[in-house]
Amino acid sequence: LLYFLLLLDVNSTKSVVASRNQMCWENLQQSLRLTRLVNTETKTLFKEYKTYQGEAFQEGFCKAQGIRIPDPTISGLETSERIASIYTHIQAFLPHLKRVQEQQTDLQPPESPLLKKFTIVEDNSRRLAYCIENFYHSSFPNLSLPEPASGPTTLPPPQNVFQQKVYGCAVLKTYKKLLTNIINEQRTLKSRLRRPMDPIYGI
Amino acid sequence: MLAMPRLSTGPISKANPALLWLVCVVLGFSALNTPAQADPEKPQHVSLSADLARQQLLISWFGGTATTFDLIILRTEFNETVYYARVSATVNRASGEYRFIWTSDVPLECTSLSVGVRSRDGQKTSEWSQNQIQGRDFPTNSRFQMYPQDRIVPVGANTTFCCIVEEGKVFKSINYSGTEIKATRLSRRSYAATAVSQTASGTTGSNVICLSTDNKLSGAVVFVGYPPLPSNFSCETHDLVSAVCQWSKERDTHLVGRKRETVFSIMGRSCAEKSPEQKCTLRQWDGNWTLVAVNPLGRHSLTDSADISHRVSPVAPVNLTSIAHAWNATLYWEWTYSSYSSLALVCQVEITSHGNKTELFSGGGLRSVVLSDLQPDEHYRVRIRCGSQRNFWKWGNWSQVLSFTTRAYVPNPPDVWMWMNRDNTGMVVWKPLTRQQSRGRMKSYTVTFWNLEEKLHTQVVPADTYSVPFNLSQMVSFSDGNKVEAKVVANNVDRSSEPSKVPLRLIDVEPLVFSRVVYGDGGFRLNWEHNASATCSYLVEWYDALCMRDCAVDWIPLAAGSTNVSIESENFQPGVRYNFSLYSCPSDAPELIQRWQGYTQELVPSSSCHLSVSQQKSDVILTWNEIPLADRRGYLRGYNVYMNNGFQLTLLSNLSNLGMRSYTVKGLPVGSYKFTVKAYTSAGEDSGTTVSIKMEDTDDLILEILASLGMVTLLLVIATVVCFKKRKWVKNAFYPDIPEPKLPSDWSRTPGPLDVKPSLHSMVHIVERPERDPSKDALVIIPEEDEDDEDQAVGDEPVDTDEPQSLRYYNDAVDERPIRPRFPDSSFSSASSVDSANTDVTYTGIQTSCSSLVFQLDPQSSAEGHQHHSNSCGGGGGVYWPQMHPTALGDTSGPASSEPLLDSQAACSGGYKPQNSWHLDSPTQAGGNNNSLGSPVSIASTQFLLPEEEEHEGEKRASATTWFSNLLSSSRP
Repeated sequence: LLYFLLLLDVNSTKSVVASRNQMCWENLQQSLRLTRLVNTETKTLFKEYKTYQGEAFQEGFCKAQGIRIPDPTISGLETSERIASIYTHIQAFLPHLKRVQEQQTDLQPPESPLLKKFTIVEDNSRRLAYCIENFYHSSFPNLSLPEPASGPTTLPPPQNVFQQKVYGCAVLKTYKKLLTNIINEQRTLKSRLRRPMDPIYGI
Repeated sequence: MLAMPRLSTGPISKANPALLWLVCVVLGFSALNTPAQADPEKPQHVSLSADLARQQLLISWFGGTATTFDLIILRTEFNETVYYARVSATVNRASGEYRFIWTSDVPLECTSLSVGVRSRDGQKTSEWSQNQIQGRDFPTNSRFQMYPQDRIVPVGANTTFCCIVEEGKVFKSINYSGTEIKATRLSRRSYAATAVSQTASGTTGSNVICLSTDNKLSGAVVFVGYPPLPSNFSCETHDLVSAVCQWSKERDTHLVGRKRETVFSIMGRSCAEKSPEQKCTLRQWDGNWTLVAVNPLGRHSLTDSADISHRVSPVAPVNLTSIAHAWNATLYWEWTYSSYSSLALVCQVEITSHGNKTELFSGGGLRSVVLSDLQPDEHYRVRIRCGSQRNFWKWGNWSQVLSFTTRAYVPNPPDVWMWMNRDNTGMVVWKPLTRQQSRGRMKSYTVTFWNLEEKLHTQVVPADTYSVPFNLSQMVSFSDGNKVEAKVVANNVDRSSEPSKVPLRLIDVEPLVFSRVVYGDGGFRLNWEHNASATCSYLVEWYDALCMRDCAVDWIPLAAGSTNVSIESENFQPGVRYNFSLYSCPSDAPELIQRWQGYTQELVPSSSCHLSVSQQKSDVILTWNEIPLADRRGYLRGYNVYMNNGFQLTLLSNLSNLGMRSYTVKGLPVGSYKFTVKAYTSAGEDSGTTVSIKMEDTDDLILEILASLGMVTLLLVIATVVCFKKRKWVKNAFYPDIPEPKLPSDWSRTPGPLDVKPSLHSMVHIVERPERDPSKDALVIIPEEDEDDEDQAVGDEPVDTDEPQSLRYYNDAVDERPIRPRFPDSSFSSASSVDSANTDVTYTGIQTSCSSLVFQLDPQSSAEGHQHHSNSCGGGGGVYWPQMHPTALGDTSGPASSEPLLDSQAACSGGYKPQNSWHLDSPTQAGGNNNSLGSPVSIASTQFLLPEEEEHEGEKRASATTWFSNLLSSSRP
């Protein structure tokens, strides 16, 4: 009887793990697809953004120093830390994207397509953050997402128009890098989570 | 009061040596030139206040009673004079403060400025009173900077930008909208450049970039645009209470954003700029309005004033409904505002069916109109708008579109005609009714054939059928004088039309001759003479002239008294001949009046005539047939006959007589010729047909042949006569008589002719073996059954009965023969002959009966000249069998079967002697076990074989002489 109960318990545990991995796999697939979409949209937005900023506005201007924008590098040693880093990075960029959109609203006519693209990228970025959050919770149900180490996002002080242009360019460029890094990170995770039934290493 | 951001100002705390030197020089110079009078009071409390946006410096001081002052402004760092002038400053009487505003070309942030003020009274001046305003290029502010920022300037203005390079960096360039502009140095770190005649920028402004040598940068944005310029400002009312003011933008300001956009206001009430059609609604009708448009570059105002009754623009009618009939419809609508009930309105109804039509209606508080002149069963779309009837201002907005369909009505009678074939069959045809004519969706047509008394036949056909066939012969006997007519009724979904009738007639007269009609001005113009007595109408029908039966006829009815008509049809095709017929009284008793033929456009014939050519002595006759009517595609005008040399056509003749379809080219010398014949219409020639002929001198050739035959005949006759006359001489010369042999004993010649007959069973067969091994040459026995084929040939051979004994040759190439010839050269000669001929000679069953001595010369072997056969037989009738080589035979009837025969034959062949003596090569060999040794059958001949040519010649000679001898013999009397 004891043996039977032990066997039942083991089987039940295996079933729970399999179900959880299935959910992880689906969340990862979904977030990867969404990340790719946001990445494509951001690339388009970045390209159009530069053309909308007037003549002679070059990508090189976006290297201007003194602009506080989150680092696109995903940090952490453990998988949970890296996924949490992805989440916090996306969350940190959202206020910057919003600020840039506001600044551009003051520079573009209301019917400008650029503003619509900003809205799309922002909305999908929020969905992506939500998706990452789901993936994190499904993968690490016992962990909670940490707050950003640097605290709430700090937005730049009021700027002149040229600074706004440079700031927007830098935000989009960095966000593009972040999305590329996220995609790579998700690919790595996907390769480690080969089949839906396989447990994630390190979990 | 403008808020003026103040740069840090104050007394020079740290003496600038250059400035001090300058001031000392000026003061010293003043002291030297000033008489010993009281100097003007030195300005006190010089203060500086900068308006950075306007780049203005407000200089104020207290200066006693002086009215004029000297003002000097220098760039502090490089001590460059920017401004030096004698100024009349305004004074505040109450406070005694003097003020002067100086506008700088360069942004005040660019570098520090030193300002000196002194009082002047004529030539006397006070000491300088100084102050300094600090720029942003002071060392503690080490960052990269650029000024002015976010400046808004009008199009065409010049703007000076300055760049303060980061501490430790080296200035490189200033670019305006991607173009580098020339920069001047203001201070150690500050550089300035001016953009001139600036063009309108985009909504995000023009970028000005300052670069350092290590490609670090700072930038600024300048917005270049226009002041506002609204136009077409007017106010109107829709509800007869409020005012709606509108205006339009004359030009784009190029300025976007909260700080740059244009703000509109009417009577102090702000109007948001939201759409290209600018609009602002005011609750009450004020009667006077002022529109003010303001942006950072300027302002513009427009005014309007009007009485409300003159500015009524009715709203769009709503809730449109209709009641439709066949020919008219009533349209109803409602108004949004009850105040319209007393308003005199004029309304415009736009009716759309197959083309637009607009109708006007007017009346007080108009709410419905009757739309007339509509078509039955027609779909209409209507919309309506109204305006004030009194003091019309403008049309209001269009209502929404209302659709309705009128009811069906009685259709028009169809336009009927008929087509008659030659065999009294035909078709009743009618034209499809148009939508207006059908007055409802067509359902069917009813065709009824009548004679005067009774209905003969009724047929209902679908709405898409426009003809009904008939056979007039089967309907009525015309000998009775009865007439038949067809009546056609059109039936739509609601009603039936009045019948249209057409009399059907027999064609009993020859059709009239066609006259030609020319197509022009889009139609065939037909003219005829009016018969004054005729009161009937006319009808012209036309059809493709090629059509013979059940033709697609078209027609047009004409009014009585008509004398001409232009026939136009979109179905006319170029190159097609059309027949036109004019009938009078088409609906009662049609009578053919006149006929025409014509082409809308003549084309070149589509095919060419068939051309044939013949030679008649030295003439060439060209004949061709007629081009079929379908291929003519125009009236043939004639034929052109060309001589074709392959590269160009040479016109020989132009035959305009169409009935002449042959042409003779005369007197052509012997040679090859090509001729091309082309028919032509008014459009040109067809591609033509080409024939070729080789001319020959036929008379001389026949004469030559006849002459040659005659000569040959004559020669033959002469030769025959001569030979006949001189036959004795010829006989003696060529064939002298052979004397009779004289025998010593009583050896008389056997009386009677010698019966020389070839043995039916004797033959020589030659077998050709291409791959023959010479060492294996042998005589081959042919089986008995093959002999039949050879009999006839053998029997035909001439036989020399004078030969006393036979000479026999056989192939001696096989070494295994029982007896070798003694003379090698002769053997060799024989063998060579065999080799050269490559022939096997086979003796087969050579028999000689006792009654006949036969020397057989096989034609084949004779031709080859290799073997001679001789055979002799004793009185016992023995049979001779040739020697055979046993090993060379594959046949089963080979040596095994032949050897016994050989022995027996040898035994019975008494009286035979060989032609020549022969010797054994070797006694041993000869004395071997060869049973044939010494037998006459085993002779190896040592006689040379005749060469092939000689043999042939001999044979031929023999043959010729035999023939000639026979001729002479037969001719012998």
